[in-house]
Amino acid sequence: MNVLTFFDTDAGAAEAPSVDDVQAVTEDVWLSLLGEQEVLVPRLVPPGTPFDALGVWSAVASISGGWQGVVTIELADSVARPVTAHMLDIPAGTDATDSDVADAVGELVNMIGGNIKSLMPGPSALSLPSVAAGRAVFASDLVEACRVDISWRGEPVRVCIHVPH
Amino acid sequence: MTAPSAFASVSALVRRETSMVYDEGKEYLVEARLNPLAQAKGLDLEQYVARLAFDADERRKVIDALTINETSWFRDHSPYQAFTDSMLPPLLESRSMTRRLRIWSAACSSGQEAYSIAMLLDQHLPAGWEYEIVATDISTQMLDRVRAGRYSQVEVNRGLPATSLVRYFTRVGREWEIAERLRERITVRHMNLAAPYPALGAFDVIWLRNVLIYFDATTKADILRRMLPMLAGDGFLLLGSSETTLDMPPDLTASWRRDQIGRVPAYRRASAMTLSRTGA
Amino acid sequence: MRAMIIDDSRAMRSILRRIVSGLDFETSEAEHGQDALDQMNAGVVPDICLVDWNMPVMDGYTFITRVRDNPDWRDVTLMMVTTESEQRNIVRALAAGAHEYVIKPFTPDAIVDKLALLGLLQPDAVLGGGVPA
Repeated sequence: MNVLTFFDTDAGAAEAPSVDDVQAVTEDVWLSLLGEQEVLVPRLVPPGTPFDALGVWSAVASISGGWQGVVTIELADSVARPVTAHMLDIPAGTDATDSDVADAVGELVNMIGGNIKSLMPGPSALSLPSVAAGRAVFASDLVEACRVDISWRGEPVRVCIHVPH
Repeated sequence: MTAPSAFASVSALVRRETSMVYDEGKEYLVEARLNPLAQAKGLDLEQYVARLAFDADERRKVIDALTINETSWFRDHSPYQAFTDSMLPPLLESRSMTRRLRIWSAACSSGQEAYSIAMLLDQHLPAGWEYEIVATDISTQMLDRVRAGRYSQVEVNRGLPATSLVRYFTRVGREWEIAERLRERITVRHMNLAAPYPALGAFDVIWLRNVLIYFDATTKADILRRMLPMLAGDGFLLLGSSETTLDMPPDLTASWRRDQIGRVPAYRRASAMTLSRTGA
Repeated sequence: MRAMIIDDSRAMRSILRRIVSGLDFETSEAEHGQDALDQMNAGVVPDICLVDWNMPVMDGYTFITRVRDNPDWRDVTLMMVTTESEQRNIVRALAAGAHEYVIKPFTPDAIVDKLALLGLLQPDAVLGGGVPA
């Protein structure tokens, strides 16, 4: 369960990356892995809507130091498996295992997280990724500062940034 | 996929406006570059292509989108090596009175070639020397990019030595901006290589790399003819690795002399007399 | 030429392996810096290491300082391939002895270009831009 309420940023809010930046970083990751053929498309989702795919993978990497934040990617299983198969060059007809998916999705959040970190005040360190089968759950002392909803092959992907209260 | 007639009409448009040839088989590329433009107008690709007939603004955007080349820093490496090792030394000697070099990056695209040359000159020109790099392109969008001197992470990953990245660039948000002292040496000019040339003066080195391949044989020959008076008598013309003056009409093979510098062929003016043949 | 790919992600190792094997490199893999050092101490000394930064057990920065501390390995070329992209980190890695630096995410051409820059590719491979699909 996503236990967050939507955080309405205002001038006094903690510094957060812009939606444009997060979206561009995510697109760069997709483009480098999958090429120009199947790009990410923006997806309109009302604030506060939980990530709504049936099977979900989530991966988290946290940033600490000059800036504090948590970078999360959530993807539909129907996105995670083909992306994993592509990254690991798994032949068509063979399924990616859960361990394959966990590895690949972890690398996605590592790439996105590292690039987000470089846009924020530093120096900061990026944690190793942690991956779960299921939606991301956030501690109550974190608030959502930025969220990007997109889709790939019609299936949802969400990247969000949480910062401490 | 693109309907064949839509591809044919786009390819005819590009050829008419730029003399560049988009052969069959490039449908995928055309589609990938035009889809975002069509989407921005809320049209599908075929509707968008139909609209081009009466929308000059969109035609301009299509030309821009289709004339962008993938460029990397120090592309192919060896021409840059040849430039610093074999072309600069004689030029430094013969220009010791004026202490000034002029370089032309023709069809500069997003500027990686021009700025690669600037980085080399920054490192290799003795104190007291000046240089100007004229960067020309048919795409005004690309010229704006050269002026801005900002490159994405994906772009700075391509062939730019990490030492040069940290020496000449500063991180600005998601982009990397090239140093002001290099940017101010670049003069940007809008120019179609297939149309009459503006007065640019003569150059010591002309970089005309990986451009001619896009033109038909007649235009190619015409461009090489018009390059002659643009090059100093002892200057160097550099073509792409798959390009040559050898398969050209006799007047051109006689006007250009090919000097092999290591693995890099550099073209020199066979004699100053060729100037009179160009009639430009 | 032999390349050792050092990254804690199997998926990333797979991507890099395909790129460099397509350029006729023999490849070996390590999951972190210590794993790579162990293999090198056991005699698997590559011509180039492609090194991630953030890894468990031993990170890539520590790994390159260790390699540089050992004169027997002075011929080993070190290229960081990492999502760490702050200017100061690139400077740090170069100062510690990395020869090149590729920022993730990258396209296969980026790896090809850098290997060419390091003089580790045959000229034909460079000119052809021979990038595996």
